Amino acid sequence: MAEANDPLRIEYLPPVDGLAVVRQAPPAGSASFSATYVGPAGWGFDEDGAEGTARLVSQLVTSAAGPYDRVALARRLDRAGATLTRQCAPESSEVTVWGPADAWEKLLELLALVVQRPRFDPEDVRRARRQLVERQLRESAQPAHRAELELLRGIFPPGHPYHGTGLGSARSLTKLSRERLVRFHREHYTSGGGLLVVTAPARGEAVRRAAQRCFRSFEEPRGPALRLPRGRGARGGLRAVDLPGRSQVELRLGGPSIARCDPVFPAAYLANEILGGRPLLCRLFQRVRERGGLAYHASSDLEAMRLGGYWLAQAGTGAGRWRKVVPMLESELRRIREVSPTRREVDLVRESAIGEIPLSLETTAEAHELAVDAAYHELPEDHWRTWPSTLRSVRPAAVRDAAREALGTTGMVTVVVGPLGAA
Amino acid sequence: MALPRVPRPPTRGFALGNGLRVLLAPDARSPTASVWVWYRVGSRNEHPGITGASHWVEHMLFEGSPRYAKGEIDRAVVRVGGELNAFTDADFTAYYSTVPREHLEVPLDIESDRMTRALITDEEVARERTVIFSEREGNENWPEFRVEEELYQLAFREHPYRWDPLGRREDIERMSAEQLREYYRRFYGTRNALLVVAGGFDPGEVSSEVRRRFGPLPEGGEDVTVRVTEPPARGERRAELSGPGTTPYLQLGFRAPALGDPETPATIVLDAILGGETRLFSAGAGWGRSGEHPSSRLYQALVDRGLAVRATSDWRPRSYPGLFTVQAQAAAGVSLDRLEGAIARLLDRFAREGPRPAEMEETRTKVRRATVLAYEGASRTGFRLGFFSVLRSPRLEDEIFASILRVTGPEVRARARELFRPERRVVVRYRPTGEANGG
Repeated sequence: MAEANDPLRIEYLPPVDGLAVVRQAPPAGSASFSATYVGPAGWGFDEDGAEGTARLVSQLVTSAAGPYDRVALARRLDRAGATLTRQCAPESSEVTVWGPADAWEKLLELLALVVQRPRFDPEDVRRARRQLVERQLRESAQPAHRAELELLRGIFPPGHPYHGTGLGSARSLTKLSRERLVRFHREHYTSGGGLLVVTAPARGEAVRRAAQRCFRSFEEPRGPALRLPRGRGARGGLRAVDLPGRSQVELRLGGPSIARCDPVFPAAYLANEILGGRPLLCRLFQRVRERGGLAYHASSDLEAMRLGGYWLAQAGTGAGRWRKVVPMLESELRRIREVSPTRREVDLVRESAIGEIPLSLETTAEAHELAVDAAYHELPEDHWRTWPSTLRSVRPAAVRDAAREALGTTGMVTVVVGPLGAA
Repeated sequence: MALPRVPRPPTRGFALGNGLRVLLAPDARSPTASVWVWYRVGSRNEHPGITGASHWVEHMLFEGSPRYAKGEIDRAVVRVGGELNAFTDADFTAYYSTVPREHLEVPLDIESDRMTRALITDEEVARERTVIFSEREGNENWPEFRVEEELYQLAFREHPYRWDPLGRREDIERMSAEQLREYYRRFYGTRNALLVVAGGFDPGEVSSEVRRRFGPLPEGGEDVTVRVTEPPARGERRAELSGPGTTPYLQLGFRAPALGDPETPATIVLDAILGGETRLFSAGAGWGRSGEHPSSRLYQALVDRGLAVRATSDWRPRSYPGLFTVQAQAAAGVSLDRLEGAIARLLDRFAREGPRPAEMEETRTKVRRATVLAYEGASRTGFRLGFFSVLRSPRLEDEIFASILRVTGPEVRARARELFRPERRVVVRYRPTGEANGG
């Protein structure tokens, strides 16, 4: 019973019509509830010429559903003191409902409704399309967003699911018909290949019964599978985009990386944390900001997804300083790949990563993120319980070796975006 | 009959002999403890020449104190799995650390060390100058930041709300280390500080620990009251900016009441009806202003009708009268004249007709429900308790909450009539130059 109340353990329940169902206990004392549906509906599924489909559908799914038009749905949430949020990624799309724990079954019904029966009202489609076109234009003109876009375009070739940020173009978005959006929803918001994670003050059987009652209206039980193209390697090189009139230059260095299920992931995770992932302690922050005084932000990230991933090192700096910062990022990348970190450094970062686990249990919403992560990657039920011992088993030399593999030089791209002419 | 109250964890407050106020909010079930130090010092206490000083001091308080050499503050908290940060506002500066509960002594030791004894060396100030510039430049990349900075500059001619907490570029360039040290010596002291500890701890033990660590600090902190009063506006003010970007954007600002003013509850209701939410009482984890609000007046009048892709309002809680703003991003092909005209007609109509009874009821429900989970977790508890306490007292939250539930439609209409008077209006419009976007 103690295990059933442990928010660091998830419980895989029997699937409902192919929909994987996972239950997590909320943190002690929490009075809130979270549930997330994850569907095989990411922008990696967008067809050629129809880029932006997944993002547009994701927006419309949380807009209006069943008997609720968009105003009625907003009022329904307000009345419950609840929120509905969405997230679209290359491989999947998520919809999350959050609200008071005593209303969890009602809120789960609402989540099921929006996931299974979005309305796609023609006026909503027009409005959402207008918004996405404007967002795409705005982000292409904003250095930080543009740098991210250029990085992904540089690392992955056209047609690759990770190529780009899924926003499409004004041209592709304008062409998306309501029928195409409805079809995408039917084929991608499915029970098969889908996942439901529920963090609620209820036993597994009650959660499964509720899931069975709510999630039985999927039109398509089988979800599509995403595949990475074979033999289409990373491209690499330098991509510089001059955006005159801006104040800051955004830098990104990155390349293809490993999937989350890769056995080397724990060591690669530590390598990234040492390089730039661990706030304040990491090498990039120390070198570029604390010692160099050259940038406000300098960090790195390892995006390990189901099928593959990418890494990136980043900083934002003034037009006159970026030429100094790029070699700093490059030299720290070389160092993490070539020299084993000291045991002391590994211990510091590792114990920090382990120590922060209780911080993830402050609220239900934060604990829920852990559960979604573990369940999406089909990790063991006790993954977060055993994560500390997994990290403690990683040796410094393994961190270096993992950096070579997961933060490697193959296909590395350097992106510089901002007022380059002013430098 | 008892007034409705925000469900809040029980707190215990006391003051030390040196003037430091302390609030403890223990929760035996919490796995974490969150330590917040709030200083009643912000950009309102600066003047031209040292604008941005509060924010710069905020950075410097991470750069060393007697027991913590440069970088050690970060390391001490992060190595136990904690997180720490700080933020500077016009009215206050807040520093926080949340740690696993067994490490509560770490942030308490840090805060007691740097409250009055931060080392602000010439060398670190020089190095941090470019970091501060970089932070400002990152913000300048957004048209919204440029517009808002201009809006406040136009709206306030005398009051220090005129400048952004990041400070003016020329002041960041010229401010000396000695000016920063003097600013710190004058204002950062026990009398201007509030310590909030929330989460998993024994209140008796922590109370003793706080007295032991903070009690010996010397009493200090000059009066931070702002005595400048902004004269009434005598006509509309407007500016037009141009710069990189793709779609036109505008903000309107109107002189608005301070947090503790009697008009505040009606202003909050007005914000919720026009923009869809209000910073102080919104459901969710953030500090309001999150998603879209299709039921709001601005959304329906502008976004639904294809005039804008985003539109909302925002009243920010301030110690002194500030601004109520309306902002909108034009849809493709819609001119700023047309967008501004539509906003003016909406505000004018609202001022004449007031809210519908259903809107009033929905707002009350929304606010009531949003408070249910407002204090979930040690970090949020530390933030919320500190925020209301540093600006007045935790009771202020209850007073505003109760008043929001009582406020009537005619009162909201009267508030709108007073607030949206044309001579109080400030308008900043942003025209993108439409240059190529880098191909």
